[in-house]
Amino acid sequence: MNRDQLKSEIEQRWPGLAQCRFDGAICEVICVRAALPELSGRLFLEWNFSFTGLIVEEGVNEWQLRYVFYDDGAAGWIHVLINSPLADKTFPSIAKFVHAADWHEREAEDLFGVVFEGHPRLGDFILHDDAWQESVEPMRRKFNAQAAMLHRRPDTDWRPHRIVEEPGAFVMPVGPKYSGVTEPVHFLLETVGEDVIRSTPRLFYKWRAIEKLAEGKTPNEVLLIAERFAATTAFAHGLAFCQAVEKICGVNVSPRARILRVFLAELERLRQHAGAIQEICESTALVVANSQAGVLEEDLLRTSGELTGHRYLFGLLALGGLLQDLSNDLCARALDQSRRALAQLNVLEQRLRVSSSFLDRLEQVGIVPQRTAWAYGLLGPIARASGVTRDVRRAQPYSDYDQFQFDVPSESEGDGYARLRILFAEARQSVRIMEQAIGALQSGSVREQIQFRGGAALGWVEAPRGAAFHWVRLDEAGKLARYRIITPSFANWHGFHLSVEKFAFQDFPIMLSTFDLSVAENDR
Amino acid sequence: MSQWVINGIRAGIKTTVYPAKADAAAGITPGLPMGGAYSAEQMNSLVACCPTGVFSVHEGRLIVDERRCIHCYRCARGIEEPVHWRQSYEWGMIRNDHGEFGREFEKSIHICVVDAGDCGACLNEVRQLNNPYYNMHRLGFFITPTPRHADVLLVVGAVTDHMKLALQKVYDAMPAPKRVVAVGACALSGGIFAESFVCAKGVASVLPVDVEVPGNPAPPLAILHGLLVAVGRKASASANSAVQAAETVAMK
Amino acid sequence: MMNAQILILIFFALCAAGILLALIVSTSRQAIVLAWFGCLASLALVWAGADALLGGNIFAQPLWSLRELDTTLTLNLDRLSAVFISITGLVLFPASIFAASELNREPDRKDGRVFSILLLALYASIALIFLAGDTVLFLLAWEIMSILCYLLIVCSREKENGHAGSGYLLLAMGEAGTLAAALGFLLLAVGSGSLEFGAMKIGASGLSAGGRWAVFLLSFFGFGVKAGIVPVNFWLPRAYVAAPRAFVPVLAGATLNLGLYGILRVNADLMPATHPGPGLLALVIGTLSALVGILYATTDNDLKLMLAHSSIENVGIMVAGIGAGMVFVSTAHPALAAIAFVAALYHLINHSLYKTLLFFGAGAVETQAGTRDMDRLGGLIKWMPLTALGFLAGTLAISALPPFNGFVSEWLTLQTMLRSAELSSTAVKIIFALCGAGLALTAALAVTCFVKVFAMSFLGMRRLHENHHVAEAKSGAIAPMFILAFLCLAFGVLPTYVIPALDLALNPLAGASAADNLVPPFFASNPGHTDLPPAFTGEFHDLGAQVGQSVAPGRGLVVLHRGGTENPVVFAMSTSYMFVVLIALLLATYIIIRLWLTRRRQVARRTRWDGGVRRLLPEMTYTATGFSNPVRVIFDAVFRPTTVEDTRDTVAEHFRTAIRREKDRVYIMDKLVLLPVKSATLWFARRLAAMHHGRINAYIGYTLLTLLVVWILTSLAQ
Repeated sequence: MNRDQLKSEIEQRWPGLAQCRFDGAICEVICVRAALPELSGRLFLEWNFSFTGLIVEEGVNEWQLRYVFYDDGAAGWIHVLINSPLADKTFPSIAKFVHAADWHEREAEDLFGVVFEGHPRLGDFILHDDAWQESVEPMRRKFNAQAAMLHRRPDTDWRPHRIVEEPGAFVMPVGPKYSGVTEPVHFLLETVGEDVIRSTPRLFYKWRAIEKLAEGKTPNEVLLIAERFAATTAFAHGLAFCQAVEKICGVNVSPRARILRVFLAELERLRQHAGAIQEICESTALVVANSQAGVLEEDLLRTSGELTGHRYLFGLLALGGLLQDLSNDLCARALDQSRRALAQLNVLEQRLRVSSSFLDRLEQVGIVPQRTAWAYGLLGPIARASGVTRDVRRAQPYSDYDQFQFDVPSESEGDGYARLRILFAEARQSVRIMEQAIGALQSGSVREQIQFRGGAALGWVEAPRGAAFHWVRLDEAGKLARYRIITPSFANWHGFHLSVEKFAFQDFPIMLSTFDLSVAENDR
Repeated sequence: MSQWVINGIRAGIKTTVYPAKADAAAGITPGLPMGGAYSAEQMNSLVACCPTGVFSVHEGRLIVDERRCIHCYRCARGIEEPVHWRQSYEWGMIRNDHGEFGREFEKSIHICVVDAGDCGACLNEVRQLNNPYYNMHRLGFFITPTPRHADVLLVVGAVTDHMKLALQKVYDAMPAPKRVVAVGACALSGGIFAESFVCAKGVASVLPVDVEVPGNPAPPLAILHGLLVAVGRKASASANSAVQAAETVAMK
Repeated sequence: MMNAQILILIFFALCAAGILLALIVSTSRQAIVLAWFGCLASLALVWAGADALLGGNIFAQPLWSLRELDTTLTLNLDRLSAVFISITGLVLFPASIFAASELNREPDRKDGRVFSILLLALYASIALIFLAGDTVLFLLAWEIMSILCYLLIVCSREKENGHAGSGYLLLAMGEAGTLAAALGFLLLAVGSGSLEFGAMKIGASGLSAGGRWAVFLLSFFGFGVKAGIVPVNFWLPRAYVAAPRAFVPVLAGATLNLGLYGILRVNADLMPATHPGPGLLALVIGTLSALVGILYATTDNDLKLMLAHSSIENVGIMVAGIGAGMVFVSTAHPALAAIAFVAALYHLINHSLYKTLLFFGAGAVETQAGTRDMDRLGGLIKWMPLTALGFLAGTLAISALPPFNGFVSEWLTLQTMLRSAELSSTAVKIIFALCGAGLALTAALAVTCFVKVFAMSFLGMRRLHENHHVAEAKSGAIAPMFILAFLCLAFGVLPTYVIPALDLALNPLAGASAADNLVPPFFASNPGHTDLPPAFTGEFHDLGAQVGQSVAPGRGLVVLHRGGTENPVVFAMSTSYMFVVLIALLLATYIIIRLWLTRRRQVARRTRWDGGVRRLLPEMTYTATGFSNPVRVIFDAVFRPTTVEDTRDTVAEHFRTAIRREKDRVYIMDKLVLLPVKSATLWFARRLAAMHHGRINAYIGYTLLTLLVVWILTSLAQ
């Protein structure tokens, strides 16, 4: 449906409770508490809008809760807004209808103290109950870091949240430091000994309070943070931030910069997918495949380093374009190297397809059905493996992506093997886009002047792990007032437990590797 | 399964020549800014443009505190007079000298890797140490999952509040003698996250650090160098040149 | 001059005196009476048995003659009975102390008096069964014993779950078994014309093949009820759980042996096997019992229940040994039969010792911790170190680890299975091979089972509520455990002294000397043992003779068997030497560590590594269920859980608040035997109930019908 149809639908169903107004490409729906759950439910379940996330902003006098939905049709962006005076911070939970909002509400409760009525499980999310006392609310203006750290009273009676009520069930604690070279996450696996009945990961051991850190800084300083908080997909996150700020400041990045940004983003995607494939081979202990995938990842890291000076593409993005131009020859050389890497990836895929012992570990294991994947709001390659194919490059094209021809691969089984196949398919599409980008390169400058001013905007990008959204609000002086980062790993960690339940312990690390999750991206 | 054996052999040898010789391949290191003699205005502009305070002026020379560099390249790009850049990777520096590690550890050590808040890049570089290019097993370095068997504790990331206890527990669980190697700008000084109220200003505020490897992220060869310094097979970077030694001492 | 006869008299006198005193004395003194009289009586029993066995003072004493039944009640203490009463006495001695300390814990209990009386009476009845020389006395004593067991289970006021029902089942099954065994005896009596065992033995050779099978089946399954073999053992787990803590060690250590005594007496002594069939059946049933027993023991979490299942497993091993012996007797391999019987009897002795010990430990744990559920125990070694040490000895013994006694009897049993290679019939050999594999599997599962028991109860983190005060068990519970632990070690380290003793009893049953076949006379100056390998008779033998003779008495310290000329392989083991070497190694290791290693290294004590969690909680550690889950999953075909409920509470879709799974496991013997019998009986009863519809006319009709039938029958008979 298009925006006008949507507006009439909404105003018809909730007369007087919800009002639509168009603000550029965004349709803002200002709604009251009573209508919120049903409205969100309809958008998500009936009209098939994707739920991006919940952005909580504490204004001078009031709260503003912004629920962001989007569609790849003509309807575009829907922001459902609720405003409320500061004293009244109880809102209805939409998590029963939009299950993808589950963790967003829990995060808002931990960081802002906003209460969502009807949510079955608030608390012990970012601020672990056995490390912090209640009501710390670090994202609020009145938060005093010194006081909070000095006067901590953690809950010493904390016990893991248990759901399984079988005699003899226990909770296997894996982590936060567990085997290998891994990020810290505390898996609490409820089991009776052979298979995992329920998995409840305890995340946010790497919580660095990025959103708080950014407040009050200039956009140039925050760009450094945006690049570096989840550096395996640094360029994607930096790009989303740049796009948000450029939108606020009304800057149109030059064509050459746009094409180069696409080129670099796809190079990053190719390299990250090679790394994910390497981790899957490593988890199944198929040593030669692991080594070959490792070689390919290192080749692509060196390609990135040779092209841009940095293996993870740091230091190239700037607000208004790129910090430095890249010559066409250098780009052609990088494309050549990428093509060679892709050829070897294809060979690797062919070999893996006939390795039955490898496939045994992935096929029919860790299945996430399509309906559940949609309900949880899973993103990226793993969602596409379950048949949820929305790609934000297609749905809401940015940075000239609508000029490029590419497919969005999709599978339907939703098992580990499907996720692996998607990674290979997307790698092929990335090189296809890179080739088109080289062909489309025009000459020109790569950096526009940018003047910082007040305003708010959403920047989005299809990062290698899924869609990432950065909401930026600048104050009148051009400094950051609110920075909200919604990452694909946040959504995918939420749904990770679906793939490991009812499978044996041996399958657990393999499923973990097929999900290509980043704890740094989730924790921020 | 014979296809894996045949194809594995056909793929050939990719291993780097380091540490026997210097590796000159492209894209193996992001490099670091180089201190030395610059004009006064250039030095002032460099000092002003660096967001983490890498540069300082001392006795008319530009001093570079490599430990703070987050590779934003704002001193080298988009600036009228860029700083000189060196494509090196032997960056491991001894911070606290706890004496000889011992002959038993020179040839082989077990490393326990703890991610205490890393962005993912340093950890990924540590993972690359196991790929055929770097193959740290040939140097006798092995990664062990348990601190009970570990000789060296390799820490990446700014130490977040939630990970402090876990990191301390890992260190306590390691039997003596042990060494701590802190890798990456975040682990050395907190990096870009130093001002966050839940990040410590580097691993050194929590544990006694022996070897520091700067970089954001530190490339695999730099990490290898750091480990080789920790076991005594390579000289510390600050001992390499007298100038750098004086600079680093002044920084502390 | 103390000989066996006088000692037996003293034993019965002590029992009677104890009962009389228990009637008179106040409740608070019951424990002392029980302790003193029980201990003295059991010591008298041990001495009598040793005197009869080793000293040769066997006797047969007629008591009363019953003219109506044309028989004389006889007391007959032969060597086989002597073995049994010795081991019973050895077990009853610490059991009396333990029972007394249990009574002492609550001196005001009213049922203490009843308990003491019943227990001392039970001692007497058990001894009477072993001493009975004719059928009537045997069955009389057996009935008294059954009823006393039942009363002991239900008299106690301990609120066990369903103890009344378990008691009835024990009694009912006991009666059924007694009936079958009595029928078996009667068949033998018919064949020989007399009710006395001596005459039965002579007349047994006249039985037809069908008669022999009938006697075997009746006595095997009849006595098997008491022993606890598949498929008639479904009363055993329930009864052991229901039995009070003071009584269950006696139940496991003394009364279990009665069933095996019955089987041995009838099928090895009175009516030796002439056909391999019965022996093979016994072998197969023994193996099945062992497997079923250990599977349930491994996957069960109730301390007492799993020990009960483990008893079933051990009985299976004994019965398999007896069956193997019967096969060898019937196929004229007397040497191998001797080995088989020794294995079975040794295992019986060992089981009595270590199972009683384990039940002492379980009782102490239950008293202190208040629960038997292993999923709720844990970490008790910190509070009950002595109990843990005693329990550990029992665990090592039952897992058949050298140098404890379990190892010797397992080794002998498995050797017996291997010796089947010397038989001629292929079918028999195949059965032996399969049963041997089954027993080996049992042994492996037993180790798993008891590792789990010890680790989950005593090691790891404490799962009990922290307010629950756990103290070390009283010395009245610890001392018996250590007595039995010492005996376990002794019987393990000195097999070369036990085997000749057992041989004195088993030689007539098997027809060959086990001692000659298993314990070569290394310490004798003249080698009389032709089966020694030639290499030995050279240098080793002289060394053994010169050194060994001065160090230790007896024939030697090595258990060695050499296969016949067709199969000249040597199997040997020596737990005695193993023990010495073990001590030496431990000592050497300790010295090396203390004097050398700790000088060069520093020892640091830190907290456990737990993955960096803030606090490791007990619910984060493996439970007993989790530990045995792999076994349960693999053997689900045996367990066949009937219902699996998986209710997932959801607040809304995707928000699960609880997942409840319940697996209802019905004991397989219940499923196969008890429930079908129950439903068949009920079906039959319902049919019969159709007769009772309350109409007086119909009842008068029944009476008339009966009258008619009787009239017709009597007129036909005339």
